[in-house]
Amino acid sequence: MAALRSSSRLVNSLRGAVSPVWKRGFASVDPISSFSEATSKSAPVVPESKTSTIKEPAPEKDSKIKTFHIYRWNPDEPTQKPRMQSYTLDLNKTGPMMLDALIRIKNEVDPTLTFRRSCREGICGSCAMNIDGVNTLACLCRIPTDTKTASRIYPLPHTYVVKDLVPDLTQFYKQYRSIKPYLQRKTPPADGREYRQSKAERKKLDGLYECILCACCSTSCPSYWWNSEEYLGPAVLLQSYRWIADSRDEKKAERQDALNNSMSLYRCHTILNCSRTCPKGLNPALAIAEIKKSMAFT
Amino acid sequence: MASVIRPTLLRQAFVAPSRRVLSTSSVASSAFRSSTLSSRRPLQSAFAQDTLPKPARIAAFHGTGSRMILPPLPQRIQGTVNDPASVPDPTPAHGSYHWTFERIVAAGLVPLTIAPFAAGSLNPLMDATFCALILIHSHIGFESVIIDYVPTHRMPGVRKLFMWGLKLATLLVGVGLYEFETNDVGVTEAVRRIWKA
Repeated sequence: MAALRSSSRLVNSLRGAVSPVWKRGFASVDPISSFSEATSKSAPVVPESKTSTIKEPAPEKDSKIKTFHIYRWNPDEPTQKPRMQSYTLDLNKTGPMMLDALIRIKNEVDPTLTFRRSCREGICGSCAMNIDGVNTLACLCRIPTDTKTASRIYPLPHTYVVKDLVPDLTQFYKQYRSIKPYLQRKTPPADGREYRQSKAERKKLDGLYECILCACCSTSCPSYWWNSEEYLGPAVLLQSYRWIADSRDEKKAERQDALNNSMSLYRCHTILNCSRTCPKGLNPALAIAEIKKSMAFT
Repeated sequence: MASVIRPTLLRQAFVAPSRRVLSTSSVASSAFRSSTLSSRRPLQSAFAQDTLPKPARIAAFHGTGSRMILPPLPQRIQGTVNDPASVPDPTPAHGSYHWTFERIVAAGLVPLTIAPFAAGSLNPLMDATFCALILIHSHIGFESVIIDYVPTHRMPGVRKLFMWGLKLATLLVGVGLYEFETNDVGVTEAVRRIWKA
């Protein structure tokens, strides 16, 4: 195989020396005959109106070329610093969302670009990234149609980066696991069949159960940036409140006790970046405030 | 303009490792880095210079050394990836009680600030309460700042130092306020005299 490759390289280098005339394919027009036709007196020149002309594809006038600056870092080259790479796309040929642009770049321009994506409709939370300074899901973020300004795409801030736009969410998931995100109950249901809830009790969970754990809010929180080892962050606290507020759960006091120290919950200083950035329109800051309120006089 | 200055800086940086880097980790590794750099340089200039895209080559020219106060450590995962993060023991004195007390103090300060001006009279006892609450409020506030920015797991010694420094400062301010209240006009009267609105 290696021998074949080196020999082909040899042939290629030889080909460079050969004059371009010999490299011409079979289906090309002979330039000498056309030249003679144009200059000879005997054969009259065919007027342009009687020929069909095939033009070179002209650049489209209404093409909307948008520039994307994307954060690149490759773990295989650890000595190289992270850098920004620019890509240009015609918005007329691209879907409306940032994720469409990223997928098109990966398919057509640069297959080494790495990012997470799965559902393309804001349900899985995989494509969370920092787009134009805002943590959001790429699949729910429209590409700004203003082509004069470039869009800048970074991974989620203050996370360890695995590659390009892929953050490491190990700590986030470990913290999620630490709040025991499942129903804890000892007593069997009254009718022996299922745990029932009134409509009012179920209504308390609206705005909490929709969270998809994309980590947009946690990674936008300055308090979480500084103390992510101990502070749980808005997303995990919202999930904690989802189980504290659940009428079927019987471990409310234990759940509250787990948060009752200076770091886990009370590093929230109501900065409200979480509520502002949430791509699902939830309000983690309100959930945290509810936890604080419920623990205030106990 | 920057491109005129920076190459010279870079050359000096290659001759001797920079002393301007403050973080201990960078200083410790700078000797190692300079030796590897010098051994790698001929190779780099031979072919990497040409193959590297132009922006990547320019990006290596950082004229100013980065000075991070507390650079992030390399990622360290405690236990396995599937273990939950450790849950600390409940300490309501630093948790819910602390928070409730903090809010009560903050809410109490509002009427105490307005009352003497609204009533037009000055009660020394109320002035003393006001001073005490201000002192507690500011102590809690600064304590919160220290907890936020001086993490125990990174620098326990510095944390202790800051906490004792804060206690000392609070004590000093407390003594000063006591002197001001007993031997002078008091805070509310002083504000009333200075205030020109």
